[in-house]
Amino acid sequence: MASILINLLIAAFMGTVLIGLQRKVMARVQMRPGPPIIQYVLHTLKFYLKETSFPKTAAMPFYIAIASTLCAIWVTGIIMGPVTQGSLLLIFGIYAMHKIVEHNAGSSSGSPYGKLSCVRAVFSASAELPLFALLIVVYLQTHTMIISDIITYQSINGPLIFSIPLAGIMFFVLLITKSHYSLFSITKGKDIISGYETEHFGVMRGYLMFSESISWYMLLWIYLTVFFGPLSLISYFMGMIVISVIIAIINAISPILNPNHSVMFQITCAFIGIFGSIILMII
Amino acid sequence: MDIAALSGEIFGFIPLGDIMLYITPFSLFMFAGALIFTFLIAISKTETQVEAEFGSLEDNRISIDLKEFKIRRFLAIICGLATSGAMITGDLFNFTLFVTLIGILNIGIVSAVKIIDVLDSAFQYGLIAMISSMPLFSGAALILGATGTLSILNLAQIQPNPMVYFGSALILIGLLGESGVAPFYATKAEMFRTPGSPFILIIHLSSLLIITRAIEILLIINTF
Repeated sequence: MASILINLLIAAFMGTVLIGLQRKVMARVQMRPGPPIIQYVLHTLKFYLKETSFPKTAAMPFYIAIASTLCAIWVTGIIMGPVTQGSLLLIFGIYAMHKIVEHNAGSSSGSPYGKLSCVRAVFSASAELPLFALLIVVYLQTHTMIISDIITYQSINGPLIFSIPLAGIMFFVLLITKSHYSLFSITKGKDIISGYETEHFGVMRGYLMFSESISWYMLLWIYLTVFFGPLSLISYFMGMIVISVIIAIINAISPILNPNHSVMFQITCAFIGIFGSIILMII
Repeated sequence: MDIAALSGEIFGFIPLGDIMLYITPFSLFMFAGALIFTFLIAISKTETQVEAEFGSLEDNRISIDLKEFKIRRFLAIICGLATSGAMITGDLFNFTLFVTLIGILNIGIVSAVKIIDVLDSAFQYGLIAMISSMPLFSGAALILGATGTLSILNLAQIQPNPMVYFGSALILIGLLGESGVAPFYATKAEMFRTPGSPFILIIHLSSLLIITRAIEILLIINTF
């Protein structure tokens, strides 16, 4: 229990700080001063102190349950990832449920912006899931999906990024996809205000932001664990900072894509990653 | 192959005649997740879509009448139960059957809506889903012919042959069409413009969970 709480606190804190860092780097690249790095932390905490109001048009109690479910899903992710080092397949399932919640948080409020975000979430899920499915290449290489066994495999055979580099590179595309203000973040494009978060206020918004922080930490944790082998705590932190900075630079200099272009780019990457890696393994 | 290396430690088995269900952390999580969302759908009201009217200061409100609400909720609950079944089943034929049932229910949930664009989209998705059911069942039939069993636990113990690979490829094609993954997403996404958030959740939920479970099943069948 203590391990779960500690990991949860680390994930929530690191996730929010890394998102703050990403915004800061993006701002500097774009010649702006940008917000302080801890701004996202303060922003998240602020919503827990604000009054919570509910739209009259919302689908109740679905609207409330869906935001709380997102938290529960990622807490399960923490338990199955850093705490117990269970199956990657289960984390894949958690990611699928995250996409479902993202989709329905938008549609349950009755807002047209949320609705558009919901339709785009369906678009993006159809490509993001195959991208996440790149992890099957890891299974074909290591013959296991259990995270602790994958770590052991890498401690003997070296990091997987060297043996299945294409899968590693394409999984990086998924990290870009899930980062804030990325070229693939069609569900939260500024043309639809805040996308699926537009009609969530107070604690509801706090839940969503808290979950986003954990999900960002978890994705980075999975990437580093699966492709870079057994790492110390310091190496994890350094790795997360480096990846967040690289992604911030990419996001700062790239415009958001049209939903169709975004999906086709991602699905192409997934196709190249999965089939390219399998062909390379056969050769 | 060792199922525990893929889905986690096996907690136990539930024998149902010649079909043996196996419980792993993965199947348990997916099964419980599908049931929780189904319960949420059963107890929730629908949202009212509000949009500004063009050329006036009025709002355009779109809501669902009671008759439509009842039939869509019924179909959504059945779809949720079918999804739960697909998450826990230990039989390949049952899995394909659940997937096909989900495809039909997805069309049903949307077909009660009186919006032409949404109905067009449902019709197009329906065509893809119907066409996809053929490779889906053909794949399962080929695997049965090649191995003599459709039990996933038994298939895990059998060395795959080229016919199993071909059957799996057919199942994969069928699943892509049924679940509306890219490049078939265009037929399905427009269906989500309809009001009735809790009901359209189940369309999305069933598609994504089916893909996730399919990855587990296909890896079990095709690796030894």
